[in-house]
Amino acid sequence: MAWYTCLLTGIFVLLCALLYLDLSRFLEHNVEQSQIRRADQIADSLLSQIQKNGPSYAAAQAEAWFQPEISDRFIRITQTSGPLIYASGAPKDGSFDPSEVPPFQPSSDAQSFHKVKLSNGKALIVAALNYKIAHGGTYIVESGTLLDPMELNHLILQLVIGLPLGVLIITAGGNILVRRALMPVERITRAAEQITQHNLSERLPVSRTGDELERLSISLNRMIARLDDAFQNSKRFVADASHELRTPLTILRGELETLIEDNRLEPEIRERAASMFEEAVRLTRIVEQLFTLSRLDAGEAQAEWSRFDLANLAKTTADQMSLLAEDKNITIACDADQSVEVEGDPARLKQVVVNLLDNAIKYTQPGGAVQLHVRRANGHAVLDVEDNGVGIPREALPHVFERFYRVDQIRSGDFEGAGLGLSIVKSICSAHGAEIEATSFPSRGSRFRVTLPLSKN
Amino acid sequence: MRILVVEDEKKVADIVARGLKAERYAVDVSHDGQNGWEMADAYDYDLAILDLMLPGMNGTELLGKIRRKNPQIPILILTARDSMDDKVKNFEAGADDYLTKPFAFAELLVRVKALLRRGPVDRSSVLRVGDLEIDRLSQSVKRGGRKIELTAKEYSLLEYLASHPGRVFSRTMIIEHVWDQSFQGLTNIVDVYVRHLRSKVDDAFSVKLLRTVRGVGYSLSDEVAG
Repeated sequence: MAWYTCLLTGIFVLLCALLYLDLSRFLEHNVEQSQIRRADQIADSLLSQIQKNGPSYAAAQAEAWFQPEISDRFIRITQTSGPLIYASGAPKDGSFDPSEVPPFQPSSDAQSFHKVKLSNGKALIVAALNYKIAHGGTYIVESGTLLDPMELNHLILQLVIGLPLGVLIITAGGNILVRRALMPVERITRAAEQITQHNLSERLPVSRTGDELERLSISLNRMIARLDDAFQNSKRFVADASHELRTPLTILRGELETLIEDNRLEPEIRERAASMFEEAVRLTRIVEQLFTLSRLDAGEAQAEWSRFDLANLAKTTADQMSLLAEDKNITIACDADQSVEVEGDPARLKQVVVNLLDNAIKYTQPGGAVQLHVRRANGHAVLDVEDNGVGIPREALPHVFERFYRVDQIRSGDFEGAGLGLSIVKSICSAHGAEIEATSFPSRGSRFRVTLPLSKN
Repeated sequence: MRILVVEDEKKVADIVARGLKAERYAVDVSHDGQNGWEMADAYDYDLAILDLMLPGMNGTELLGKIRRKNPQIPILILTARDSMDDKVKNFEAGADDYLTKPFAFAELLVRVKALLRRGPVDRSSVLRVGDLEIDRLSQSVKRGGRKIELTAKEYSLLEYLASHPGRVFSRTMIIEHVWDQSFQGLTNIVDVYVRHLRSKVDDAFSVKLLRTVRGVGYSLSDEVAG
């Protein structure tokens, strides 16, 4: 907007300057024309008298007819290379001193115009006429008048007041118009910001204006519908796939289980079968986790929601996992003494605590410490799981909640995770309207913070 | 004991039937709902195992019909679905237990046995495996006459393993019984607890009762490993 106002002001100033110059030129020209006409008049009416009645009569006539002193005029009549015949005196109001006007001598039968800068700062426009009388010699008639700056001053005043006012009105008006024109765009933008993968069924407002904006919002809505379709398809695919994999997995596991327990088989074969069974179990776990994720995506029914104390849940969970930590010589310090009531599915939120604690224990060196902290803060329930373990590399941090993401491929020696644990945690959090955030300082530890709404009253 | 298995996936039905027959149960298999109902109507079974997605007549309908005919028969549902809604619906329709695919046969057997001998008598009994004695009433454990102090979780784990001596329990089964669903996937917690339990129950004795079955899980048995 600023550049637009500047440009506008610039153009206005330029136009005004041109207007001013033009007008002053025009005024000057007008004055010049009127003076040359007067010089003509004087020449016509008086010069012939000089021959008849002598120069002093002509001078007296000029004085009487034109009254230059009263009407602030300047008149001078000179014979070419001869004596001064008449020169008007200082005007009554003393607005100029006629002696300041140098003699102008245009060549024969010519006229010239002059702008005399006076010492009092005013300007006198003088028209000089070289006039030749038949059988009588040549005369210079000069007629002048003050250039009245009144009109120009008026113009300047108008411009000085009018220009900023004009710029102001145009800028403000333009602003209002633009804003009104862009209001629907603003509405569309706000609505578009609200749309995430969880509410793709929502649509942007369409203003029936019949213009490009209506078409834009309609085609944006079509795009959202296509996105919605694509999302639904991929969710349905994950749900269907994990569902369809269950029966073959049941058979695979069942058959392998029979082999393992069959005493008639060679121990080596049973060992191989056990290895296959191990993988089948791992596959089962991945399928189950995917199924869990697809159910969370589908917005699992909130029928199982209840009010419970998150602090208590965290404490008992930490208790149940203490042996796991002790086994690695890691201490779990649990700070959750005040009850923090939240609403949700306790089993699911317990899974969050279990996964976060398990993760913390997994990535902490023996002898390290894990802290679990539950409290109220700013009208929310905040659960922190902090460790002083290896931490998460900066470049990996934004991806830790992605499906199948693993911080380091090397450490995948543990068969446990498929890289779905944290994405399940994230999905559970979203389903509860909770935020989860990971911060980490490599080699100093990481912290996972879950912020969820407190239960109402 | 005669068991009816209605499952349209022939291989799943086959595994279940084979496994149950090996445990000396009489097993009838049906692959569709209509036929399953005819069999249930014709014979008196001690237990029915039903798949939910069946051709002919769906599992829930079949469940209702069998229940109306015989209010006493224990019914176990097998299904790939595991949402809470389905669970509630089926318990209302009269299912006694529920197992989601993929399941371990060992788990199925545990449930079958539990369903077949429901009642307070068993609960009060003392479980014995070799010289190990578990008193379910007082929740006390003795081995060779000497009392062993266990934590609550260790006791639950031992009692669960002792409920079917010799049978291998997978880590997943153990987690679901001794912990809860939230711990699913955390199978190393089982290993840690078994290690602690072993140090209390087995370390001082020459006969080791707690056995690790590679890749599968754990079992409690006084039989010599073979």
